[in-house]
Amino acid sequence: MIALTNVVKEFKGDDGPVKALNGITVHIEQSETFGIIGESGSGKSTLLRMINALETPDHGEIVVDGNNVSSLSAKALRLYRKKIGMIFQQFNLLNNKTVIENIMLPLKLHHFESALDIDEVLEFVGLSDKKNNYPSQLSGGQKQRVGIARALITNPKILLCDEPTSALDEKTTDEIVQVLKRAHKVYGMTIVVVTHELNVIKQLCDRTLVLEKGNVIDTIDIKPSSSTVSEESYYERILEVLKNE
Amino acid sequence: MSEIITIYFERVVEYWPNLLTSLNETGIMMGFATAAAILLGLPLGTLLYLTDEDKPLQNKFVYHTANVLVNIVRSFPFLLLVIAMQPLIREIYGRATGDPVAASFPLMVIAIALYARFVQQSLLDVPKGVVETAQALGASVFQLVYRFLFVEARSSLIIGFSTAFVSFISYSTIMGVVGGGGIGDFAIRYGYQRYETDIMYTAIIIIIIFVQIAQWFGLWLARKIDKR
Repeated sequence: MIALTNVVKEFKGDDGPVKALNGITVHIEQSETFGIIGESGSGKSTLLRMINALETPDHGEIVVDGNNVSSLSAKALRLYRKKIGMIFQQFNLLNNKTVIENIMLPLKLHHFESALDIDEVLEFVGLSDKKNNYPSQLSGGQKQRVGIARALITNPKILLCDEPTSALDEKTTDEIVQVLKRAHKVYGMTIVVVTHELNVIKQLCDRTLVLEKGNVIDTIDIKPSSSTVSEESYYERILEVLKNE
Repeated sequence: MSEIITIYFERVVEYWPNLLTSLNETGIMMGFATAAAILLGLPLGTLLYLTDEDKPLQNKFVYHTANVLVNIVRSFPFLLLVIAMQPLIREIYGRATGDPVAASFPLMVIAIALYARFVQQSLLDVPKGVVETAQALGASVFQLVYRFLFVEARSSLIIGFSTAFVSFISYSTIMGVVGGGGIGDFAIRYGYQRYETDIMYTAIIIIIIFVQIAQWFGLWLARKIDKR
């Protein structure tokens, strides 16, 4: 489904070029939930952005669903990108548009054969009662739900998640992970998640790549997590972590 | 005291027709300047943004050419710009002096350059994530501008416009030198050349009121449509 072969990327640093990715080869299967984990500066976001060509490699090849991504013309690239959903750490919503306008935005840009129904998507992310609100009236978790809904409405084959929970607290992170898990179960798309949060990977992914300074140091098959998300309140978690052993 | 006020009002009434003519001339000049700012300044500012380094239509030649042109117009002492443009205006419009339409040409040129800069600034303030999202969604450059940048920058574009508009009023007041008329010319003719100070101050107060209304309306509208 997604095949990156020997991908190299250099950035200009203050002391000469810095290798962000040092010959990375990855294969991600269809309908897999795949994690990319690493510390800040490991190159994980750069790697994710290669998949929808927000970054271009200096060397190497990226083939997604039969398309050689680097050889696409400008127009072909736009049509390619429309098939890939993406959610962002900072949500990247249009603050002057309502929830429903934000979610419908992709449909205003392209024609989609199998777009989902707006009410279905709103219901799915639990924002039916907020559809006419503006992002400034929402919490962080709700904003990310809008981000997810905007990605889901096009019914994408691939969903890229760039640090989807890094701006959120623990409890909200669990909620967002559950929404993504459900999305995967219902719509069956391939999901690629970049994060530094081990729990997010553990709960969400089948397999993960471990990146360090632009090198793959391991690929791990993740055992299905038996522990489901805690239903405890934030206060109960505080007591558990801070008071008890 | 009441006699002074009566005399003043009688004088204002006497000059009223001339004042109205001047206001009408200012209106014509402001109308042309506004149209030029929106129809040409907005696209030019957007072009400056889009062709800048690391922007979607990055193009050094176009960017630098547009940038230098805007700088030249903005650094030109306005009175000299008015005079330097005389032959060109005569070529295009047939006459270069004696009416507000001819006087509008230099105003339009400065309006385009000035508002283009404000537009460029407003667009540069749009968060990078907005552009990134447009790209990730496969938006064309036109869609990026129309559905993303202008949506998020709209309040700032309006505040920039009201600031530019106030400058246009100020620029328009010197148009008397080429017979363009207008309220500024009225104030100079009666107040400075004929020592009718009361009439001059009346005209100045009218200008001040216009500026206040323009600025207030711009800020009010910008706040009203800002949902950020």
